[in-house]
Amino acid sequence: MTAIIALSLFGISNLFLGFWFPRKTIQLVTLLFLVVSMALTVSDWNHELLWFGNMFRTTNTSINFSLIIQLAAFFVVAFSKAFGQDDEHTHPAEYYAIMLFSVVGAILMVSFDHMIVLFVGLEILSVAMYVLTGSDKRNLRSNEAAIKYFLMGSFTTGFLLFGITLVYGATRSFYISNIGTILTTTAPESMPSFLFIGVLLIIVGLLFKVSAAPFHFWTPDVYEGAPTIFTMFMSTIVKTASFAALFQLVSGIFGSLYTVWVLPVYFISMLTLVVGNISAVYQQSVKRMLAFSSISHAGYLILTVSSKQISTTSSILYYSLSYTLATVVAFAVLILVSEYQSARVEKPENFSSFEGLAKNNPGLALCFSISMLSLAGIPLTAGFWGKFFIFSDTFSRNIIYPVILAILMSAVGIYYYFKGIIAVYLKAGEIEKIEVPTLFKMALWACTLGTIILGIYPSLVKSVF
Amino acid sequence: MSLLLLIPLLPLIGFAINGLAYPKLSKSIAGIVGTIPPLVAFVISLQLFLNFDGQTQIIQLADWIKVADLSIPFAFQIDALSIMMLLVITGVGTLIHLYSMGYMAHDAGFGKFFSFLNLFIFFMLILVLGANFTVLFIGWEGVGLCSYLLIGFWNQKNSYGDAARKAFIMNRIGDLGFLVGIFLLIQEFGTTDYQTIFSTIKDGTEVGNIGLIAFCLFIGAMGKSAQIPLFTWLPDAMAGPTPVSALIHAATMVTAGIYMVIRANALFELSPEVLHFVGWIGLATALLGAAIGLFQNDIKKVLAYSTVSQLGYMFMGLGASAYTASFFHVMTHAFFKALLFLGAGSVIHAMSDEQDIRKMGGLKSKMPITYLTFLLGTIAISGIPPFAGFFSKDEILAALYHHDFAMWCLAILGSALTSFYMFRVFILTFWGDFRGTEKQAHHLHESPWSMTIPLIILAVFSVGGGLINLPHFAGGNEFLAHWLAPILPEPHEVGEVSFFSLEMGAPLVAAFLPAIFAIYYFGIQKAVPGNDESVQGIQKVIYRKFYIDEIYDFVFVRPIQVLSTFFAQVIDFLVIDLIVEGVGKTVKTASDEIRKAQTGNVGYYIFMMVLSIALILVLTLRSRIL
Repeated sequence: MTAIIALSLFGISNLFLGFWFPRKTIQLVTLLFLVVSMALTVSDWNHELLWFGNMFRTTNTSINFSLIIQLAAFFVVAFSKAFGQDDEHTHPAEYYAIMLFSVVGAILMVSFDHMIVLFVGLEILSVAMYVLTGSDKRNLRSNEAAIKYFLMGSFTTGFLLFGITLVYGATRSFYISNIGTILTTTAPESMPSFLFIGVLLIIVGLLFKVSAAPFHFWTPDVYEGAPTIFTMFMSTIVKTASFAALFQLVSGIFGSLYTVWVLPVYFISMLTLVVGNISAVYQQSVKRMLAFSSISHAGYLILTVSSKQISTTSSILYYSLSYTLATVVAFAVLILVSEYQSARVEKPENFSSFEGLAKNNPGLALCFSISMLSLAGIPLTAGFWGKFFIFSDTFSRNIIYPVILAILMSAVGIYYYFKGIIAVYLKAGEIEKIEVPTLFKMALWACTLGTIILGIYPSLVKSVF
Repeated sequence: MSLLLLIPLLPLIGFAINGLAYPKLSKSIAGIVGTIPPLVAFVISLQLFLNFDGQTQIIQLADWIKVADLSIPFAFQIDALSIMMLLVITGVGTLIHLYSMGYMAHDAGFGKFFSFLNLFIFFMLILVLGANFTVLFIGWEGVGLCSYLLIGFWNQKNSYGDAARKAFIMNRIGDLGFLVGIFLLIQEFGTTDYQTIFSTIKDGTEVGNIGLIAFCLFIGAMGKSAQIPLFTWLPDAMAGPTPVSALIHAATMVTAGIYMVIRANALFELSPEVLHFVGWIGLATALLGAAIGLFQNDIKKVLAYSTVSQLGYMFMGLGASAYTASFFHVMTHAFFKALLFLGAGSVIHAMSDEQDIRKMGGLKSKMPITYLTFLLGTIAISGIPPFAGFFSKDEILAALYHHDFAMWCLAILGSALTSFYMFRVFILTFWGDFRGTEKQAHHLHESPWSMTIPLIILAVFSVGGGLINLPHFAGGNEFLAHWLAPILPEPHEVGEVSFFSLEMGAPLVAAFLPAIFAIYYFGIQKAVPGNDESVQGIQKVIYRKFYIDEIYDFVFVRPIQVLSTFFAQVIDFLVIDLIVEGVGKTVKTASDEIRKAQTGNVGYYIFMMVLSIALILVLTLRSRIL
């Protein structure tokens, strides 16, 4: 809990630091802030407590989600390269501050015990993201993406808010625990119909944030338009936080209304898997491919929401962690390669820019390939176990056909992930040695190593979750 | 305990050193590095043997496989049987390593050879040390691999590579049976642990499929121990260097099948029909091997068919539940067959790689040690008392006499054939005049000490090996029978035998008469087999090994080749490619279509979202609202 207070203060102090210190220093200080806030988060371990007028609850699950979010933020900051030397158009202090604020929002979303906290957290996160998406002010694509994201995001926020209102109307409470008690003790027949509409609208609102089909349309456009570093932020932190919120609602207080939401959720999950994976096949741009990949990973996660096994929470945590580690590496390498190619080719983010990367940059090629393998779910990487846990949880719940579809779709996934590996290793191309800052390199290897270690020894973290 | 672990560990280390350092290590060092591990392992085994208190000891090394209720530990079992096997493997193994230092001295792949040999010893030790069928299976597969590597050691020659593949594939067929047997054991007993399985059986618990399990395990033994119908790989395996033939294809690996049946005797005892089958397969193999051996002119081929035939005897013994007798024969056979192979190797070495006995002759004076030791080996295998082979073979025959008279008669016939072809080889090689070329004659020499010392030691054991289980009538106390008693079923009471009965007399006649005949025909008449074209009639059929290879080729190999050509050219092309590429194309087309939904138009996006939400609400809530 103290973490969110600290992060808010850190964010504000960041704004002031920007006056006096060079970008490099601010980056390091921000990393330090995140380490401190992670330590503060850990200090709540095993203390299940309510804060802020019973609106905010810390549990071990919420702490785990918060840690994954902060870890992702840590890596994003480490990969940010302090936003170059362009003093006129980039404002690192502000960016870092906004990132810290949005992490506060994300933590609120995983620890809420009150509907309004959920909404506030979601808005803090979303508004911050609209701003960051449009931060490349002179780039038309960035502006377009920000507007698109803002329009569609506020549209769905409306649905979410409406859903919360309807649920309030039916239960006369914003408190999660109260709503839960009422929903479990009342027979479904005696509840007003608008309650079910409310529940579905809340779910839809969150599904938009995790970019599930058919609410995914914004994802490829926004991911592509946003500066890559913020795409990295979006695809890890926003996704994890929204998914944690969705999971806690659906498996928690809405659990008794299983019959209401289960079919739409299945349907959406299958649709997401198909749309995400199949669309990714044709993409020429790595960034866009990663956008569709993030859609398809949302599909796997939604599948497991309904499995309601004891191990489901830890499976989701494991999946989020493995996805985060692999995704940040993929985007990080993309940043380096596209930066190198931007002066040389017309579309620096395409697969063709990666061709021949392994020749002079074997380290980058290896990290990128391992992250692709992990996203594809190949054994000995964390991604394999992530998929394995999710499929086995879902399967033991006797949900057969969606799992079969998911497995088939992950086979399709191999096609487009391996396209990256093929480009890196098998295609001929001229890429000179790319200069990588030390911090960047360390973070890159840390994530890659984490992917491998978790892939060989999954119980290392699975036992903690 | 810790010393025990060294037994398999040392050869593994030897393998690693020679394997990694080859070809940087000099030959002398590579030879020493290769020979020391089996020697030390032998010393440790000997110490284990001397201190053995009769208690079965299980050593748990690690949990290996744990799936649901099934738990398979990586464990070793030390008992009477495994200690005996340890002694044979490490003892004979050491001698053959020593021998190889001389035999392979001029070979470029010296270090590689020793690393393979050490690896073989390692897997063989795992095979006999394992406390459950799964660990045994690792060893089983491992020795098969080493056998493959060593048969094809001189793989520059295509036919040697083919022989290696043949051995491997035939063994795989047997292994499949063995594997099914293990699966059935897991299904019926929920474990592959020897002690659990055998105590379950001894408690009289009803367990299904025992006969099927025993049969499947025996299929494995058929492959590994070269029984009909899976025996044709063994003669071809002679392509490997001679020490390999002695170690793997005579003394140790091929007896793994017998070891396994003895180990699982409790299972086999419960299925008399399978035992019966084992006995008859053994008999048929013994006769077939002996018959083919009659007219072979390649010194190693004769010994190979002789091995096939002797293995048949061992299985015959098992079929009559004479486990001690069979194991006794395993041990004596290890001595005299290793001796004969090494003797043959010594001859081949001296003859500059000539293996045809028609081109030998008169080597007696040039190679006295080889001559004398080979003679002792020949007497031993022919079953002439009081050499080792007599006692062990006689015990099998005695068991058969009480078990099945017809089998016994045929076994006596086989024994007579053995005696004949062994003396034939012996006389053609060492007596008479030299029939080779001038160059070979000039080069003839006795082998170096590293080769003759193993010959002498093995000769001593071939002569005196019978002492291990000297029967009562010869004044012995049947040590091996008492030693193995704890792990074997109660032996059938045979009663005292007299020296002057049919039971005793017939084997003696069968050993002496053919030997005398061979001496007369080849020694005094100086007959030499003619060249390949001159053989006619039934003799030609036998010389051509009853055309079994050709029959297998026609019945199995050709149809499989035709089938695989069909699959490669028709099914693969028309069906697999079509499906695989079709799936790929479909996905790509679908991707292209779905991609078009991503128009970039926000109005359209929002419209689709609203439509979807409306659809979800209506479909989900229609029953509740309407």
